[in-house]
Amino acid sequence: MTPIQLYKLLKQTESLKDKRHPMFERNRFLKFLMFFMVAYYAALMLIMGVSLGAGMRTEHSAAFHQLDGGFFYILIIDFWMRFTMQETPAQKMKNYALLPIKRSFLMKSYLFRTVFTWGNTFWGFFLVPFGLISIVPLMGWWAFFGWLLGYWLLIVANGLCYLFTRALCMKHMLWFLVPLALHAALICACVIPDHNIFRVPFILFMYGFAQWNILSFLIAGVAIFLALWANYRLQMGMVHDEVAKKEEVSLKRVSQFNYLSRYGAMGEYLKLEIKQRMRNKQVRMQFFMGIGLITFFSLMLYFTDAYNGDFMKSFICLYDYVIMGATTLITIMCYEGNYIDGLMSRRETIYDLLRAKFYFNSAILLIPFLMIMPLMINGKISVWMSLGYMFFTMGVLYPCVFQMAVYNKNTLPMNAKLSNGSQGTMMQSIISIVILFLPIALEKLSLLLLGPQWGYMPLILLGIIGIATHRLWLRNIYSRFMACRYENMEGFRASRNG
Amino acid sequence: MNIAINNLKKTFGKGENLKVAVDIEQYTINSGELLGLVGNNGAGKSTLFRLILDLIKADTGTVHMDDVDVSKTEAWKDWTGAFIDDSFLIDYLTPDEYFQFIGRITGLTNEQLQEDLKKFEHFMAGEVAGQKKLIRNLSAGNKQKVGIVAAMLLRPQVLILDEPFNFLDPSSQSIIKHLLTDYNKETGATILVSSHNLTHTVDICPRIALMEDGHIIRDIDNHNGEAQTELENYFNTN
Repeated sequence: MTPIQLYKLLKQTESLKDKRHPMFERNRFLKFLMFFMVAYYAALMLIMGVSLGAGMRTEHSAAFHQLDGGFFYILIIDFWMRFTMQETPAQKMKNYALLPIKRSFLMKSYLFRTVFTWGNTFWGFFLVPFGLISIVPLMGWWAFFGWLLGYWLLIVANGLCYLFTRALCMKHMLWFLVPLALHAALICACVIPDHNIFRVPFILFMYGFAQWNILSFLIAGVAIFLALWANYRLQMGMVHDEVAKKEEVSLKRVSQFNYLSRYGAMGEYLKLEIKQRMRNKQVRMQFFMGIGLITFFSLMLYFTDAYNGDFMKSFICLYDYVIMGATTLITIMCYEGNYIDGLMSRRETIYDLLRAKFYFNSAILLIPFLMIMPLMINGKISVWMSLGYMFFTMGVLYPCVFQMAVYNKNTLPMNAKLSNGSQGTMMQSIISIVILFLPIALEKLSLLLLGPQWGYMPLILLGIIGIATHRLWLRNIYSRFMACRYENMEGFRASRNG
Repeated sequence: MNIAINNLKKTFGKGENLKVAVDIEQYTINSGELLGLVGNNGAGKSTLFRLILDLIKADTGTVHMDDVDVSKTEAWKDWTGAFIDDSFLIDYLTPDEYFQFIGRITGLTNEQLQEDLKKFEHFMAGEVAGQKKLIRNLSAGNKQKVGIVAAMLLRPQVLILDEPFNFLDPSSQSIIKHLLTDYNKETGATILVSSHNLTHTVDICPRIALMEDGHIIRDIDNHNGEAQTELENYFNTN
């Protein structure tokens, strides 16, 4: 077999992996949904490209200069989006470890594919219309192609940087803090001072592509080459670790959480919730990402004036309360899918588990409450707003998100180092949107009708009603879960090792 | 506790790929019986267990434990213990934590739990209880032990174990055989055990059901150990 034939075969095998995923294969709706989501985001980017291409132009500056001055925002978004979609070559090579294929060939072919994957051209849906409107009339087609090629090269380099970071994260999760800190520093350096010091160099650098300036291409080329070389070295070193991966065998200390034992069986379920977050990489990561986001937005609101508008204040306050629920509860029962048979062979365990989840997630709302406290003290967020959203989250939004316990039926790996792909469903997306925007709409309506003094009372009252009746709505969810238990269990089983 | 199976049918797939996993017209496992279930891979043993435990939906038919239809209420879960595979284990707990979880959610006190666990000390051989290892980091054999102990912990009147001898070392296989027969004699519990190990099955089960393509094709009385030859002939092991 020639190297090209082998490369094609590997590519074909990889593409089958997604197509033949148990959940994907069984679910025509999911297939449609995947197509729809791609089409939706492509259309969204297309519209943004057209509108920004025409709208970003100022008296002193062309639209593409405006975009180029902040091109790293595109790279930052691109970088973090990849965490939900892209595996490292070391992870992929595990499947071929025992086959008579040279590892160096496998690694090179994977890195090659990383460069030439269609995913790297997805930004084209935004950049092509943007460039057609803003560059072609001013500088012609040749400049447009150079500019587009420049962006593609930078996105490729960005993808390789992501791959490098992700490989490091496989060694230790905290490596993700490095790009996080870098990106945060870059954003702060651009946002905080009166004059953005990076803007002009960035514009000149990107303008170089439009002018087919060798220096811009050389910088991008060197960046790609270095990123490829670093990835090759790092990933090859990790293949062995990945193949012979062995978890830590013994715990240094077994946390007992005995103080919860006084609550009897409920205490055991609460311990289960805590241990699930502490002892499983994926769940822990999700939890700390939530806390990281709460901290980040609270600090941004505290230290900058960038989000001082009423809408952004409301949004950030709400976001701080909702983010934990939106990220962890939206996939409620998906982690339990790993041991669903054990739970289902005991009486009413699911009802008790749901109660424990409600108590636990209500208790952790203290974290955002404490984070928001300095904002309440400095007057950026009112006490009533904070209390309103906290109670509303507990008593109204949680009942909404808990409905997912009936509809979620795909098992998520708990201890995978990082997600191997987006597992969101249409229902999860809808609920996420509802919980992020419904409260703000209600708040605005309530403030309009009742004024700033009493405006948050309806949110608080609704929240208290939801909290007081939690056993009723949880019982209802449990009954509905039991009514469709066979279908759900089948889904959990089918996707358990998928 | 009687287990009565009536017109139970479960198929997987459609059209040409239709596979009958279980098709049992009528079968009763009497209270206090220790029934062995044998059959080749794909015969339907695990599917039958999952149907009895209401973990999958039957196309037709019912399973009753005494008067209780297992698909209609959850009452039977109070007196039933089972271990089929790893999906019964919460693998991010240590074995002790898992036993405590199972014990506490079903109303056992810590003292009762420790007392009950003592009976399994020999079986666990110092490698399961008292360890600072999470279940997911245990060997396959020790995971199996955790599952079996957890299933027997609450002294169930119905005990269902799928391939309990798998992954166990010879000593543990011998111990679990004694544990099951003693438990059956002491409590009069109805026990269902599936296995590919004919010798162990013949040793401990006075009644053996032989499954093929979802059907129980033979119901063998093994009170005198006479099933060995019949099973060996069927499986061509001689």
